[in-house]
Amino acid sequence: MAGAAAVNGGRSPVPLVALLLTGCSGIQSSLDPAGMQAGATFRLFELMIVMCGVMYGAVLLFLGASVWRVRRQLAAAPAIEPADPGLGKGLWAWGGVIVAGLVVLATGSFFVERALAAARAREALQVRVTGHQWWWRIQYRTPDGRWIETANELHLPAGRTARIELGAADVIHSFWVPNVAGKMDVIPGHTNVIDVSPHRLGWFRGQCAEFCGAQHAHMAFDVKVDSPAAFDAWLAQQGRPAAAPADAIAARGMAIVTGGACGLCHVVRGSAATGRAGPDLTHVGGRRSIGAGTLPMSRGALQGWIAQPQALKPGTMMPAVPLDGADADAVAHYLETLR
Amino acid sequence: MNARGAIAGLALIPFLLAGCSREARQLASDQPQTAPSGPADPRTARYAANFYQVSQGGRYFTWYGCGDCHGRLARGAANLANGSRHAVEALYTAIAAGQSGAHSDYAARVPAEQIWQMAAYLHDLSRHEPARNRRNALDQQGEPQGNRWQGPLQ
Repeated sequence: MAGAAAVNGGRSPVPLVALLLTGCSGIQSSLDPAGMQAGATFRLFELMIVMCGVMYGAVLLFLGASVWRVRRQLAAAPAIEPADPGLGKGLWAWGGVIVAGLVVLATGSFFVERALAAARAREALQVRVTGHQWWWRIQYRTPDGRWIETANELHLPAGRTARIELGAADVIHSFWVPNVAGKMDVIPGHTNVIDVSPHRLGWFRGQCAEFCGAQHAHMAFDVKVDSPAAFDAWLAQQGRPAAAPADAIAARGMAIVTGGACGLCHVVRGSAATGRAGPDLTHVGGRRSIGAGTLPMSRGALQGWIAQPQALKPGTMMPAVPLDGADADAVAHYLETLR
Repeated sequence: MNARGAIAGLALIPFLLAGCSREARQLASDQPQTAPSGPADPRTARYAANFYQVSQGGRYFTWYGCGDCHGRLARGAANLANGSRHAVEALYTAIAAGQSGAHSDYAARVPAEQIWQMAAYLHDLSRHEPARNRRNALDQQGEPQGNRWQGPLQ
């Protein structure tokens, strides 16, 4: 910022403002809306900024004018100001301006709430998201009534409204994808519902927004807004069981996953690994990150995560599994091929 | 509040703070890799006297599906709904190998730290009234149990 000001000789504030605003776009920003709900809330935010900006400007104007007037009077002849008949009227007018501003904001808020509530009539897809310490279980309802499960990566079709039902397995979490919609708390013992209608394709980031324990900050998820056709293809692919291991190393990895510690807590559909405590690993290799947004997906990251999750995400419920290097690599290779 | 009351209140603070250390957890990566060496193993106290380790044991007991055989409806297997009066190291051995080898592969499948935590949990359960244990079980209903997941807490 100092550099920009120096280049311009401190004359124009415009580049400075532009520089500050670059922080507002991005994959996790409510100031860069990519969905109907986020857009409506953002317009309400703009209205609030304009309204408060005008009010603030008016206050500064009156303050400046009165200071200027007093200085001029002091220079001429110091005198006690007589009772001013205009003062009472001025105060009433000022009160009127405040009430009018509040009415405008309340009306804007009313229309935004109405727009958010109206999305309920357009729900075309049912998704169930469950918050766990510290990851997200995501389940899609197919038209024929089955549930397809995945974790930590939410795919949404553009132009369709998805009904997201939020539940918690342990403590209070909060579901927040700022580019798509506002926050919604995830409460144990109660199902909250949030509608999302994204319209811009791309990757975004969701984050738990209610402190939920040691690794609250590492309870993130990737959000992909797809075209409806691409989304349908993705969902159909997610519904299929895992592919058989393609080579000898992957086969060795599969034997360790199903016969060792992994299968007690993780499910790989189509194999003997049937645990339900941790994330579904059936198509884990196709995801973008591991450990609920802790590390980018790669064979090396998987290997490190398996060998010592407590060093990468201290306090995570995933225990360290004692495996030698070759076995850990075989498991990482097997998981990487589960696309 | 008068001065004597304030002094009495201040004197109570150290006793209240002493309770905080009962849940102290270490987020380091020094998990135990081995079974207890005997009744004098210093790790026994570290697990059995720490509420965080005990509650983690309860979660893994649920997640691994132990309640399927050892819950209130235990059929044939020992009913552990109210814990077990055995010592922690005996519980560790029982989880790792089971009576007459019923758990023959658990020691290979469950990491040592989780067995430590479950042993501490079972040891702790037996010290409480059944009503409190039922309350704990209710709180854990939203957690997955073995290969079943019945949805979030409703």
